[in-house]
Amino acid sequence: CGFTPVYAPGGAADGLKGQISFAAPSTRDDQLLVRHLEQQLGHTTAGRFQFKYTLKVDQQRMAVAANNTTARFNLIGKVDYQLIDPASETVLISGSATQFTGYSATGTTVATRAADEDARARLMVILGDQVVAQLLAKSADLPK
Amino acid sequence: AQSVAGQSAASQQAVPATQNAVLVADSLKVEGRNVLIARGNVEVFHQGRRLRASEITYNRKEDRLNITGPITLEDEDGVVILAGSAELDSRFENGLMLGARMVLDQRVQLAANELNRIGGRYTQLYKVAATSCRVCETGRPPLWQIRAKRTTHDNEAKQLYFDQAQVRILDVPVLWLPRLRLPDPTLKRATGFLMPSLRQNSQLGLGVRVPYFIRMGDHRDLTLTPFVSANTRTLEWRYRQAFHNGGLTFEGAVSDDDIKAGTRGYVFGNGRFDLARGFKLDLQIEAVTDDAYLLDYGFSSKDRLRSEVAVSRVTQDEFIATRLTAHQSLREGDINSQLPTTVANGLYERRFRPAGIGGVVTLSAAAAAYHRYSSDDIVGRDVARTNVSAHWQRDWTLPLGLRATHVFGVRGDAFHLAQDSTSPRQQGQLTPEAQLVLRWPFQKTTANGVTHLLEPVAMLGWAGGSNDNIPNEDSTRSEFDEGNLLSLSRFTGESRRERGGQSAIGLRWVRQGAQWGSDLTLGRVYRDAAEADFSATSGLSGKVSDVLIAGQLRNAQGFTLGARTLLDAGLSANKAEARVAWQRKDFGLMASYVWLGRDPGEDRADVISEWVLDGSYRFARHWTGATRWRYDVAGDKLAEARLGVNYRNECVDLNLSLSRRFTSSTNVDASTSVDFTVNLTGFSTGKTDSSYTRSCRN
Amino acid sequence: QELAFGSTRPSPDTPVSVSADALSVNQEDGTATFTGNVVIEQGDMILSAATVLVVYKEDSQKIASLQASGGVTMASGKDAAEAQNADYDIDAGIVVLTGNVLLTQGENAITGEKVTIDIDAGTATAGGRVRTTLQTGN
Repeated sequence: CGFTPVYAPGGAADGLKGQISFAAPSTRDDQLLVRHLEQQLGHTTAGRFQFKYTLKVDQQRMAVAANNTTARFNLIGKVDYQLIDPASETVLISGSATQFTGYSATGTTVATRAADEDARARLMVILGDQVVAQLLAKSADLPK
Repeated sequence: AQSVAGQSAASQQAVPATQNAVLVADSLKVEGRNVLIARGNVEVFHQGRRLRASEITYNRKEDRLNITGPITLEDEDGVVILAGSAELDSRFENGLMLGARMVLDQRVQLAANELNRIGGRYTQLYKVAATSCRVCETGRPPLWQIRAKRTTHDNEAKQLYFDQAQVRILDVPVLWLPRLRLPDPTLKRATGFLMPSLRQNSQLGLGVRVPYFIRMGDHRDLTLTPFVSANTRTLEWRYRQAFHNGGLTFEGAVSDDDIKAGTRGYVFGNGRFDLARGFKLDLQIEAVTDDAYLLDYGFSSKDRLRSEVAVSRVTQDEFIATRLTAHQSLREGDINSQLPTTVANGLYERRFRPAGIGGVVTLSAAAAAYHRYSSDDIVGRDVARTNVSAHWQRDWTLPLGLRATHVFGVRGDAFHLAQDSTSPRQQGQLTPEAQLVLRWPFQKTTANGVTHLLEPVAMLGWAGGSNDNIPNEDSTRSEFDEGNLLSLSRFTGESRRERGGQSAIGLRWVRQGAQWGSDLTLGRVYRDAAEADFSATSGLSGKVSDVLIAGQLRNAQGFTLGARTLLDAGLSANKAEARVAWQRKDFGLMASYVWLGRDPGEDRADVISEWVLDGSYRFARHWTGATRWRYDVAGDKLAEARLGVNYRNECVDLNLSLSRRFTSSTNVDASTSVDFTVNLTGFSTGKTDSSYTRSCRN
Repeated sequence: QELAFGSTRPSPDTPVSVSADALSVNQEDGTATFTGNVVIEQGDMILSAATVLVVYKEDSQKIASLQASGGVTMASGKDAAEAQNADYDIDAGIVVLTGNVLLTQGENAITGEKVTIDIDAGTATAGGRVRTTLQTGN
């Protein structure tokens, strides 16, 4: 049926796995995103490719109750990235991934803060999975 | 003879560095030694200034240029003067120009029948009409203009001073000012009034806001904005300061109004500084005198305020964060003394890649303290905790592309509780953990370039220890989505962990094509024993979790639809949320929907069902409409509605918005406000979007 | 009225002396061609050029006009001119300089493709994208 295993020899991840060095993070969100990408595409400091990204997480008030208390927040994450050949500085793949997730804010101050931070961590996993899928889909037209 | 490096062809670039101006023309007649008559594309250059005319007669003795038009004099700093005729010195610094039009930074035009150049710094125009609007030969008056008996442009201070100024709208005088000063558009920061705005608010009445900007040197500024209306005397302020290693901004307001006795006010401030060795200092302050103030004046819709000092550093394999936080709740139902309002946190996390055993070792140590200033039992509980953990994670690529990741770890937690008779003062627990995650992704690319990724995933996990007697401070609102389907513990905080054996399975299908793409994730968690601390609607209660269905649809035209739901065994939803975002050049739509089932465990007495819609549409070249609706489907009423219309061209920016907030409580009333702001653009710096500029053709 | 070139107006009949390395005479049209460091003096005006064709009047004693080429310099009082070629019609008092012309009046310099000096009228007219500096004073 045409499906081949991604991580098998000759699979989509062949040219990518262990070949990408990810730009250093400047925030905790960056760090969690890179950690998830490295968990699937391997860690290296001197790969054939460089992965540069800008990450933005916006917060949106949802479920505003009658007495104006906010019962829920949406976190909308967007990552714009470029896979670059460090030698020639040419951009091989550029793309973006976006998705939202939510958390409830009806608990105590501490519970709401923990829910916010957990939602951010989950969002980084979701965005990371999207980026990995996009890189795998375009891995065929990368230089061997 | 003095030799000049001039070839036959005119080379404007090679202007000799002498003080003298250089003249270039098609033909030149010299009469005697003092009179030069130049004709045909005459250009005169002097230190960055350039004058072009059809004919110039230069008298050396009097250093006077008699110029016949059409004349174009280009000064530095983007000042251009057009004139019919002129008499100037050879440095264009002194003299008279007739039928002159002075254009500043291609935006502000001052037309006058007489223009005087004084000392190269001042330009005085008599019987002036100044505007940044399009002026066409049709003779129709510009949208707005400032007429004045005299206007002086100071090229050094970059200011425009008008005497006997009269502001006219479509040639109808609306304002008369003996003296008026406006900044030259190239001036970055200047003290002075900013454009006023009108606001009609059902609680505050009709009022006007007149901001006054005070420049305090190059690194600081203060903006004071009095807002006076029928029911309030308010002074809004904003202070900004830049440092070499960071900056801070404070804003606030002080009011004396008829809504609530006594003076009311708020302060919001934040600052960020780079410290040594890569550390960052983040400051935030949010304080208000009474719960309704921020909403009454529309300053902020926050219902919980947070003031914080945080020092943190993030590097590739290390994370250090320490912060001290003070919370203040404005919510009707909250009692601040029974909420942890003073919180301290510290986290140190370090990762290693040991050569021997391979994989990644993650060590972390955290500490936190929550203080409630009520000292009653249970409701005044204070908590201090320390948590250390060590995990070793390694991944393998097995034959046929099966990816396996195993994690072995142990956590040690110690809790110290005060003012809570139901829990022992000291609690400690040790949690050994182990997990195996399997991913087996397959990919196919069809003939027409569409790529499909099919990824079955599975997880087996076990964790020891138990959650007994530890009060649940930070894990009362847990969620289940594709971000923690494979996590070993889906509780949000440190006071709860998922224990015992569990497994999770999932399937992910990603379609990616040139025109459109989609994601779909299905997942479910199976446990050997239910976790009592998961709420009903979290989807994780019971031995078998709800079915997670999450997906996304996106196309090449900027349209994205994301959705997620949790279906319980009876296939009825516990949670459903969706978000649409569609962004085009002139059109933007963002709509979000959330549905949460009734759940006393999450203090949700009844169903939440609400959608929010934010739209903007540039329906004509100069007109943009914007709207926002927040509709409470469960209660079948509007929570918030806003309609805005903006007219913008090269010289004016009008904003009219009508907003209605329906929420009300004991201390906050519903309110309707109408805001109207008029900005005479052209005098402010910043680039202009030329797509709004009108041209004379239409 | 001051002169545009030179300080004294030479009258047409002031004597013109010519010196050069070589001379060749053409009897039919009554012209003579001086070549090699040609220097021509008339009053306080000096013209030097690589080659100068001299056209004599019918009675062939007086010089009617000069055609200098191959790089010409003229000097008179504080003024000077350089060009590739120069035609000097002595009777009319008109000098036409062409090709990279540089005319200096004291410290004022004018460059152009073609400069016509009318010595009697005291004017100089330059054409072909002229260029000069606007010196104040004197």
